[in-house]
Amino acid sequence: MPREAEPSLNEKQFVAQALQENLRLDGREFDQYRPLELSFGDQYGVADVTLGRTRVLAKATAEVTVPYADRPLDGVFTIATELSPMASPSFEVNRPTETEVLLSRLLEKTVRRSGALDTESLCLVAGQKCWSVRVDVHVLAHDGNLIDASCAAVVAALRHFRKPDTSMDAGVLTVYTPAEREPVPLSWLHSPFCVTWSFFGEEGDIAVLDATWLEEQVRVGSCTVSLNKHGEICQIAKLGGTPVDAVALLQCTNVALARVKEFSDMLDAKLAEDAKRRDKGGFMAELRAENDR
Amino acid sequence: MTTSTGPLVLPGEALDPSLIPSHPKHPLRLGPGLRHIPPSDIVPTVAGQLTTNSHKNSLWVEANSNRYIPQQNDPILATLLRTAPDSYLLTLSPHTAPASLPHLAFEGATKKTRPILSPGQLVYARVALANKHMDPELECVNPATGKADGLGPITGPGCAFDISLGFARRLLMARSREEGGVGVLEMLAGEEPGITGGGLSFETAVGRNGRVWVGSESAATVIVVGRALQETDRNGLGMEGQRRFVKKLLREMK
Amino acid sequence: MPLDTSTYNLALLRVDGRRWNELRRVHAQIRTQAAADGSSYLEMGHTKVMCVVTGPTEPGPRRGGAGGGAAGGGGGTGGTGGKAEIVVSIVIAGFSSVDRKRYGRGDKRTLEMQSTVANAVAASLHTHLFPHSQITISLHVLSQDGSLLAALINAATLACVDAGIPMADYVAACTAGSTSTYAANDEGADPLLDLNHQEEQELPGLTVATLGDSDRVAVLVCESRVQVSRLEGMLAVGVDGCKQVRDILDRVVREKGRRMIQEGTVERGLGVNDMDVD
Repeated sequence: MPREAEPSLNEKQFVAQALQENLRLDGREFDQYRPLELSFGDQYGVADVTLGRTRVLAKATAEVTVPYADRPLDGVFTIATELSPMASPSFEVNRPTETEVLLSRLLEKTVRRSGALDTESLCLVAGQKCWSVRVDVHVLAHDGNLIDASCAAVVAALRHFRKPDTSMDAGVLTVYTPAEREPVPLSWLHSPFCVTWSFFGEEGDIAVLDATWLEEQVRVGSCTVSLNKHGEICQIAKLGGTPVDAVALLQCTNVALARVKEFSDMLDAKLAEDAKRRDKGGFMAELRAENDR
Repeated sequence: MTTSTGPLVLPGEALDPSLIPSHPKHPLRLGPGLRHIPPSDIVPTVAGQLTTNSHKNSLWVEANSNRYIPQQNDPILATLLRTAPDSYLLTLSPHTAPASLPHLAFEGATKKTRPILSPGQLVYARVALANKHMDPELECVNPATGKADGLGPITGPGCAFDISLGFARRLLMARSREEGGVGVLEMLAGEEPGITGGGLSFETAVGRNGRVWVGSESAATVIVVGRALQETDRNGLGMEGQRRFVKKLLREMK
Repeated sequence: MPLDTSTYNLALLRVDGRRWNELRRVHAQIRTQAAADGSSYLEMGHTKVMCVVTGPTEPGPRRGGAGGGAAGGGGGTGGTGGKAEIVVSIVIAGFSSVDRKRYGRGDKRTLEMQSTVANAVAASLHTHLFPHSQITISLHVLSQDGSLLAALINAATLACVDAGIPMADYVAACTAGSTSTYAANDEGADPLLDLNHQEEQELPGLTVATLGDSDRVAVLVCESRVQVSRLEGMLAVGVDGCKQVRDILDRVVREKGRRMIQEGTVERGLGVNDMDVD
């Protein structure tokens, strides 16, 4: 099993020293994100997020299953994360590392437990049939900040996804294929995004957004805040590490809110652009008799 | 040097006999990427550009791979992993077997006076022995003269950056500006006319294994040089592109 | 039964008769197990946690790393070799909550709590004094009634103090909540200190751990939806509660020390006042 590649002492010392002088290795500001690129696949529900050299792909799928026994009126919603050797040779399939467990818990708390997706709308026949929506998150390249990229990918994939239309007719459930009826979007309540702060320095007084892999190896603590653009905190996770002043943490949360609003706007714009691209002009365009020649 | 580049070749392709150089005195030398199947077949094994040197009568394939395979006499920048009884173990590339550097392979080292290195230290060394059967061996001293020639542990402020193998090779050429097409270092040092604001003082150590160390007293200088190198490498900037990027960096520095 | 908050404004009392800024009864003991290096037992209200610390000891089988052959004196790379590794294992008993629930070994919530406790305690322990060694913290949850993570962190801190591992200060933790729901923008929302199970389910809350008496936050976990404006109030109440918890923990340790001197188990050492300091 290959061991995790560690940066050399010289690099670690240099990064810490440069941060003391207000310099980051790629010339960014402390609160500046790497360029975030979002693209959708041809199929509904596929979102590809690139954050610098980190790349995450999320795919949403749905199928009809039996709901849980203790929740007959709710659908099933699961998020599965895959950190495969594609992202880094130190990850192994089926052997969850601590990174993978924490990423999976964060996504779960941010998207699932905060009620971003209305699970009651996934119910088809109470107690017997419901939609099971599953989002698979694949990390394709790991250069730091998997959490923010994965959360953006999951939210984008779910908002882009269309589930097949259904109808109930005297107790008989009919699921229409995309050819018969246009698929419908999911019932989405709010869009949470994660913002991860990394802390450096003896006292944890230098706070930096969107750390690269090298910066992650040098950091002494980190805090992930999930918010939506309405200013509701979905979760906060500062799981140990060097203690940071409480006031500084509150300031980090406020800056995070500004970033989340930017992400939200960007996602809305990208979804609108994608919808326009797919929109073939409606009914009249379908009835056109001219050739494209 | 009279190197000329030929066409793109793919593994297993038959070579056009006219491409193979001939020389009255020197026998034909095959470089990396070619395989000799006796009696007279020469077959490329990697995809790349066929390059010839008529002066030395040699032939090789110029290819850009991602994993460094140690070759003898290559300078490399390695990280110390741990100390073994008689040598240090260093990693050349992440997730590969470590190379060994004997305790005595430093300038003026005896059993009593050897340099003490700590795990995680960067070392600039040369590959002494590399064959497919054994882990590679390194040295920090020229065995003929006994001098270090700039090899040894890297001290002093600075940072190491990752670059591609092809770019490392271009940087290591004797005249990297003309032949390799990499001018950023000269531009940043202020030796290029037309670019004001240069004159940064820094030193570099290029490792053939895709790592380059940039050292300078000022952290800002190190970051600027590192960014210039990585940008040229990743986006394949030509001389004009490099000039533009260097100007932008120097402007941002002010 | 949904939490009835109607009495809050009338009598300013919660369901269990506490006011908004009162901690539950905290009862703790250290050196509960003589055989272990360090042990503690902590009750925060009805949340009961036992902790045993072993260490610093030989590092166990390396998890996740190649390890290599015999490494001689060098040890691994600087990252892992330079400090003691803290390994935490949490076992939540099936009878700890109202309904019997069996917790599997790979439960992600438990793994996350293990990681949190390890990192929280690592923030305070002087791990650089024990390179190439391992400190094992085993926690057993006997009864859960809210504030589980806080109780685990407090118990781990006490057990490490009992084990005599050098540390900078206590890591004290407690929970704080708010009577508002996330949608409401009401100004009348009060922050609450130390939530029990019922309050934790219904109201937004967070767990916060600080380093001793300072305002520096080591752990902050909030898993419920809450308005950003509420965060400041909850955090302030939480940090204040942590200071109270720290005083309680300190009292427990000093009481045990006094008792041990009285019984003659240990000699009375030099106090700071008795030392000859130049």
